[in-house]
Amino acid sequence: MNTETDSALRLQSPLGRVRGMGSARAGTHHWWMQRVTSIGLLPLTLWFALSAVSLAGASYAEALAWIGSPFNAVLLIATLLLSFHHTNAGLQVVIEDYVHVPGARIAALLAVKAVCGLLAIASVLAVLRIAV
Amino acid sequence: MATFTLPKNSKIGDGKTYAAPSGATNVRSFSIYRWDPDSEATPRRDTYKIDLDNCGPMVLDALIKIKNEIDGSLTFRRSCREGICGSCAMNIDGTNTLACLKPIEDVTGDVKINPLPHLPVVKDLVPDLSQLYAQYRSVEPWLKSDTPPPPDEERRQSKEERAKLDGMWECILCFCCSTACPSYWWNGDRFLGPAVLLAAYRWIADSRDERTGERLDALEDPFRLYRCHTIMNCTNTCPKGLNPAKAIGSIKQMMVERQG
Ligand code: SF4
Ligand code: SF4
Ligand code: FES
Repeated sequence: MNTETDSALRLQSPLGRVRGMGSARAGTHHWWMQRVTSIGLLPLTLWFALSAVSLAGASYAEALAWIGSPFNAVLLIATLLLSFHHTNAGLQVVIEDYVHVPGARIAALLAVKAVCGLLAIASVLAVLRIAV
Repeated sequence: MATFTLPKNSKIGDGKTYAAPSGATNVRSFSIYRWDPDSEATPRRDTYKIDLDNCGPMVLDALIKIKNEIDGSLTFRRSCREGICGSCAMNIDGTNTLACLKPIEDVTGDVKINPLPHLPVVKDLVPDLSQLYAQYRSVEPWLKSDTPPPPDEERRQSKEERAKLDGMWECILCFCCSTACPSYWWNGDRFLGPAVLLAAYRWIADSRDERTGERLDALEDPFRLYRCHTIMNCTNTCPKGLNPAKAIGSIKQMMVERQG
């Protein structure tokens, strides 16, 4: 329940409260992209795990060469982008579920977006520097 | 933040124990949540020992026996005693269900009875349902059609169209499902909850209704609809065997379909 209004006297009708500010007409894209990224991540994560295992014991140069091959670089970048998108979407759900103070909720959502966005850019840049 | 512990004035203490009548051989304890708004006391748990050889088979029978014979102050809702009015919804042995449909035999050990979870309590086992009723009202659960009905005739549906309403018209609005849903506990002021979303889908799926798009618009919201994370508590607890989670899934599917 909303912590801000819990202690205040509320004479607004239940229907008025429930209708509130109306529907946001949003949420479908977020929900759908969560499903799409998780479906995409299934094969990508499997591919990445198998590749990581096959690289066990490889030298630094061999690992660089593996990342540098165009095929691997493309799939790696796809894995990274989908992972960070999925992480961001998942954390957003957790924050919306549990953080009820509006200011704190928006701050937390923006912080998660910033961290996931920067990490995504940094990791893609790392792959590109090796591959290009 | 979501509240995970009870506030101080809701902490439950030990109450009275009422002994079984002498000579009773088939005795069962009923441990019942009690709270009286007219007293300053915090909630308590009273224990009533009942002779099952002298009592009907359902939990509601025991409650009525207690009220009639032992403690007239025990307060609960009931009407039909056959699972059709939805009044007697409460938490029995850790599960939300209808007291009139729950056999005492199905419970092992003491029968623990609480009001539906996470709602304000009016008294004892009677929760305040006004938010849930307002949410039901807010989805406008009635037929909306611009085409007038054919003169001297009802609006017609094929058998297939009518069949789409099965599993939804049977809902008795007992709200066992909504009050079993963690998302409804944390965000019930904005999330509509399974019972109301099932009711909304009942009209979305009705071939005679012409305001499907408007209905979907009103639901398309991160809180009203998308707080549902398919936890399935609703479906598991529904005493009528309905599947609100499936209805919610169908609403989400339509939301995606209409995007393009
Ligand atoms: S499926 Fe959705 S509505 Fe049902 S209990 Fe889970 S979160 Fe709540
Ligand atoms: S779906 Fe089932 S549990 Fe929910 S209100 Fe309807 S009858 Fe009760
Ligand atoms: S008394 Fe009507 S549903 Fe139990």
